[in-house]
Formats: sequence, C-alpha cells, structure tokens
Amino acid sequence: MRVRFWGTRGSLPVAMRAETVRDKLVSGVLAASGRHFADRAAAAAFVDDELDFAVRGSFGGASSCVEIEAGDGNFIICDLGSGLREFGLDAMRRAAGGHPRRYHVFLSHLHWDHIMGFPFFVPAFDPEATIIIHSGHADAETALRRQQEEISFPVAFDWLRARIEFVTLATDVPHRIGGVDVTLMEQYHSHKSYGYRFDSGGKSVIYSTDSEHRSDQMDTEERFEAFFARADLVVCDTMYSLGDTVSLKQDWGHSSSLVAIDLCRMARAGTLALFHHEPTYSDAQLQTIHAEAISYEALTRGDAAQVAVICAYDGLEVDV
Amino acid sequence: MLWNRRETPGALVGRPEGRVDESNWSDFAGYLTTAIADATGRQLIIDLGGVDYMSSRGLRALSTALALAKQAGVGMALAAPGPAMREILAISRYDKLFVVHASVEAALG
Repeated sequence: MRVRFWGTRGSLPVAMRAETVRDKLVSGVLAASGRHFADRAAAAAFVDDELDFAVRGSFGGASSCVEIEAGDGNFIICDLGSGLREFGLDAMRRAAGGHPRRYHVFLSHLHWDHIMGFPFFVPAFDPEATIIIHSGHADAETALRRQQEEISFPVAFDWLRARIEFVTLATDVPHRIGGVDVTLMEQYHSHKSYGYRFDSGGKSVIYSTDSEHRSDQMDTEERFEAFFARADLVVCDTMYSLGDTVSLKQDWGHSSSLVAIDLCRMARAGTLALFHHEPTYSDAQLQTIHAEAISYEALTRGDAAQVAVICAYDGLEVDV
Repeated sequence: MLWNRRETPGALVGRPEGRVDESNWSDFAGYLTTAIADATGRQLIIDLGGVDYMSSRGLRALSTALALAKQAGVGMALAAPGPAMREILAISRYDKLFVVHASVEAALG
C-alpha cells in the first residue's frame, strides 16, 4: 500500500505569505554563510541534508485529502478537502496514461473543510469517470449538492459529467470495496465522524480524523485500540495540545498527539502520522510539535514497542 | 502505581509513585476524587516526585480532578515533577493548566 497526502490541514486551508517565504530564505542564506556550491546539485544537497524541513519546505496548507494506493488499482481517496483539487489534476494525468477512472471516496464527515474540494475536482467533469462516495452518513449527497447550489457556487451538482454514486456504509463490519477490506467506526465529533480501516495484502492503514477522545469517555478507548490493532500506519487527528483539548477547545471535536500515541502504543501500531494540523500553526511550530511528540513517545514507551511518529505534509508519500 | 497521602493543617498531599498509564489511570482518578472530597477547605497538592511517567489518560484524570476541585473550592496544584514529568507537562501544555511548584515544601508555602 502507498499513502499519499494531498491535504493535511484542519478546518481551513492556508496559504504561505510573502514574509514567510522571505523568513525561510533568510534562514537558509544564513545557514549557507561561508559555503561554496559548485553547482545546483551541490546546493540542492545542502538544502536537503542540512536545513530543517520547516526552513527548506512546508507542511502545506490544503485541507484533508489522502490517497491510498491498494487493492484492484482503482483510486481510493479519504475526504474531499481542498487537497482534492491537486489530486484531481494528478489523477487526470494518470488516467490519460491508462489508470482506471473509477474513484472510491471515503468521507470522515461532511464538514466544509472535508468536502470543499469537490466542486473543483476535475474528474467530476470527466464523462468516462465513475465516482463512488462512501460514507457513514446518510446525508452525504445532501451535503455535496448543497455546497454547489447557486447561492454558493456557479456550477450546479447536476452539471457534473461523471457518474456519481453515494453509498452509506454500516459501521463495524468489513466491506470489500476496490479489492480492499474497509471497516468504519463512529467517532465523537459534531454531526458524528467515522474512522476507516483499510486492509489489503496483509497491510493495514487507519484514517481517523476529526475524532475527539473525551476525558469522560476514556473507558471507551479500548474500542479505538481494537480498531487500530497492529495497523502499519495510523493517520490521526492531532490538531491541538492535550491541554487545549481538555480546556478551551473541549468539545471542538479534535484530539492531540499524546492521545494518538497512547492509542497506537496500546494497539501495537507501527507508525503514527500526525494530521489535521491547526491552520494557525507555522511550519516551525509544527516541526516543534512533531519533535515533542517523538519525545513523549520515548518518555512513555515503557516496555512497549516503539511507535514511529511522522508528521504528515502535503505531498508526503508513505509506503506501507 | 502506589498512592500515598499525608495531611497537614492546610493541605492534603497525594503522592502517586511509578507509572500512571492505561493500566491504572482509573485507580488514579479514584484516588484523586477521594482526595478532593477529603481536602475540603484545604489545598490538594499532588506530589509528582515519585512518578516515572504519566500518559494521556493519567493526565486527563488530573485535569478532570482539577475541574472537580474548582467546583469543591479546593485549590489544586502539582509539585516536584522530575525531569520526565516536567517534560511531559510542558509537551501536553498542562504546565499552563496547573500551578506547578518545584517542591512540595514550596507548594505548602
């Protein structure tokens, strides 16, 4: 399986401002002080090997959209956030090269940041494409049609040319879709959300975003440990600090890296991907949060196996 | 995890020892609830000096207890975290939720 992150921000897409680019350049130039680079390749090697990711790159700003390559070769996409636009362009390129034009979409929930990419999804205008939108919510079609009503968007849903189907999935039972075993579970979030488990070829990927793990429901977390059990990669909502989730942002429907790490440890999962980043966080802040998560995992590991902690960014590919 | 407590005229000092994690957070939460009830009119100091580490369920038991303590009019503070617990309190931002004293003596004033 291969997991490709097209959008990793939570709540609202963000774009980098000119002064942020300038700050990164200044940091890079300072780091290169006194150095000489024979050619572009040498400069690129310096950038890749010696600059922090927050200086040389960016976690990106598109909202939730994750592609999973697995099963029978059809497209598998989790959520339709603003990252979907970029995925759609790439999918059209791949379709032109012979990739099947069948798209299996799995929606965590119907909030704006998770569906806003669909009106800009070029394959939806492809008459040869079939798009099957799977959800735990019975009102997914209503949500997607509503955002393309004239008051919100100039192109009506009915003008789309692809064949579009909606399927409501039952929770807690495996569904064979696109050659992959897919299971979903209900999560705590406004209007509910659903986490997905994808099993294929002896590998497992979890997509669990917009899921709050409340202090007064800790006795139910074994349900998540079972759902995450021995997963190779767990993509988890880690939007806020634990302190925020139990105080100011309690009931906002999100979680922390600390809870995600503990669930993964108990589940004996291999790798956790921090996901659904708070839109106000800078690249430097996200890099710090990632480093802190790694430290927490080591401090609380005890006798358990290590959970590798990565921080998802727009463009990241992970082979499972 | 072990739990010990001692009382002074102005405070009840609870001292967990060992790991507070997924295996024992519920016991820890119970000890905290009892301590809050017993500390009415006084401070509740949680001496973290014997805690190896505390995972998210232990931390959430602490913040739930903080809310209970506020309702009961009990001032609650943390004291004497070792290096690992200091780092965990900082990473979790619990050092922003709680008053954290360097030692129990400092907490007792």
